[in-house]
Amino acid sequence: MTIARRTFVALGSAGLAAGMGVRVSRAADKTVVLGCSIPLSGPAAPTGITTQRTVEHAMELINAKGIQIGPDRYTIVAQFYDNKYVPAEAVTVVEKMMADGVRYLFSSGSGNSVPVVEKTTAAKVLQMSGASGKNHLTAPQFPYSFRVQPCNETAFAVYPWLKTTYSDIKRVAHMNPSDEAGYTESEDRRMLAKQYGFTNVGNEYFKRGSTDMYPVATRLVGFTPDLIDFGGTIGRDQGLAVKALRELGYKGHILLGYSDAKSFVDIAGPDAAEGTLLFDTLADPETPEQKALYDWWIAKYGPPFPSYAFLMWDWPFILAAAIQNAQSVDPVVVSEAMRTTVYHGIFGEERFGMKAVYGLDSSLTRQIPMAIIKGGKPANLATIDWPTGV
Amino acid sequence: MLSGLVTGLIYMLIALGVTLLFGIMRVVNFVHGELVMLSAFAIWFIGVNEGLTIWVALPVAIAVAAGIAVACQKLLFKPLQYDILNCFIVGIGASFAIRSAAWAIFGPEPQAIPAMLPGVIKLGGVFMAKQRLLAAGVCVVLAIALYLFLHFTRPGKAMRAVEQDREAALLMGINPESVYVSAFIISAALAAVGGAMLGSVFGVDPEMGSEPLLKSFIIVQIGGMGSIAGTVIAGLFIGVADSLTGTLLGGELAFIIDFAILMLILIIRPRGLFGYDV
Repeated sequence: MTIARRTFVALGSAGLAAGMGVRVSRAADKTVVLGCSIPLSGPAAPTGITTQRTVEHAMELINAKGIQIGPDRYTIVAQFYDNKYVPAEAVTVVEKMMADGVRYLFSSGSGNSVPVVEKTTAAKVLQMSGASGKNHLTAPQFPYSFRVQPCNETAFAVYPWLKTTYSDIKRVAHMNPSDEAGYTESEDRRMLAKQYGFTNVGNEYFKRGSTDMYPVATRLVGFTPDLIDFGGTIGRDQGLAVKALRELGYKGHILLGYSDAKSFVDIAGPDAAEGTLLFDTLADPETPEQKALYDWWIAKYGPPFPSYAFLMWDWPFILAAAIQNAQSVDPVVVSEAMRTTVYHGIFGEERFGMKAVYGLDSSLTRQIPMAIIKGGKPANLATIDWPTGV
Repeated sequence: MLSGLVTGLIYMLIALGVTLLFGIMRVVNFVHGELVMLSAFAIWFIGVNEGLTIWVALPVAIAVAAGIAVACQKLLFKPLQYDILNCFIVGIGASFAIRSAAWAIFGPEPQAIPAMLPGVIKLGGVFMAKQRLLAAGVCVVLAIALYLFLHFTRPGKAMRAVEQDREAALLMGINPESVYVSAFIISAALAAVGGAMLGSVFGVDPEMGSEPLLKSFIIVQIGGMGSIAGTVIAGLFIGVADSLTGTLLGGELAFIIDFAILMLILIIRPRGLFGYDV
């Protein structure tokens, strides 16, 4: 009986201690929930899956150290929701996140990000987007919205570089999907091409996910351009379009980005893909930081390494640094800290800028790596510094 | 226009499988698009991933497609007694299930089947990939072969007999169930070859069956449900219309034109060009 009573007391004490331990632990490790609206199924799923894996690893590193705000240590918990790259799904997903109390959001794709920015602004949710969308996404009326991956903005760096690097390029044709991303990409790229002295000879839109690219390729070849800028064209569409263009006899330059190079070469075929210029693409790791990410991926998931992982690597650290600098988890306060945070990441110095274009410093500016398909594989070509005054 | 003809011929081949099943047993087979996709993946897996030739992979792909088609017939459509509406709904469900399984098994990354006939030739001032011409040739040969099979062989005549009058065919000693199985196998084989041609020209991914299936339904509706001749003519017509619309007016308008043609034909001639009452 005595033993039973002792056992009971011991177990009770242990249970109480464990309970207190949990409570103490909760008090010490507060969490910031980051909702990620990304495509985990559908044609854009490769980018979504890469994003999820990369962000998960970034969180491991961030949380190992934690974010110290006064006496409290914070960690970031990333929750991933599949938006299928369908705007209606993305709106539903974000509404659910906000109803669940999420106050930090990452959203992928401009068609998925633009429709939610008014809602997130009204709810004072800090929205980070890997998306085009121009001033529909980053503007003074959206003070908590940030673009954490240069998209159409890359053109501000790439076109001046094209002008000085390729003297044979005079006539530029543009090809984009017929949606929000495509229209905004096309608008900026045509504006910049003209600004740097190129002649815009054609501007074509196609239905994303089209099976047959011959009609749009035929129209593009008809413009006899020296360069075809694929703008917001992504995924399988890139490979099919390049294949069709080369089959139709086009021999000029092709510029594209947002690409999984291996998949692109597989679809287009190595001969058709040869010489394609890839903007914002780092083919091979060069710095120790880039190599560390590359080695981690290969060890965990095996080859091939998706170069898109490089693009998704820095922004979680920038968010963590901004929270640290703000000494607050209030998205309004953190937003202001984001604007002044300078981060030394995988692409060197990174900061939010482009006030001259959008009226607010809320688009990430950094070096833009360029690659080229050579011998059926991507190879590093150049690193373009962000232009001054933009 | 030439590229439109080629695309139209591939869609026609896929649509022939749809119209064959509808003609014989009044089943609108929604799984057909997924058979196209699975066949293309089978060819990619065996012919590219495992390093064997495409010509070895093709018969395996046909066998895979036929196996799944017969399984659908036995396990889904037959228990529903080939009721058109029930089969339609179950077919949609099975289609989603197969597509999701493909996502899980093969992943979302698009894959490529190398051209069986690489290179480009110039025809009358127009460049054309040889693979596209091969695809067109294969589709034409198979369409002719299907016509000859249905009109000049005993199993083909049995199929037509079941199509015209199931009870009378039964009295003549024809077993409709075995005819149904044959029809599913032939339809699956057409889907498999269509998948091979489509995959080698446009790449392979889990969503690749959706657009051909939608185009197939448009083609079959325009040509007339159950009509082989109507399917061939409508396939060529839609392919050329798509190509001309896309080239002259931009790709966005192609689907609008397709559906406009479909609506016009259905208003003027509800059974399609060569169709008959269900």
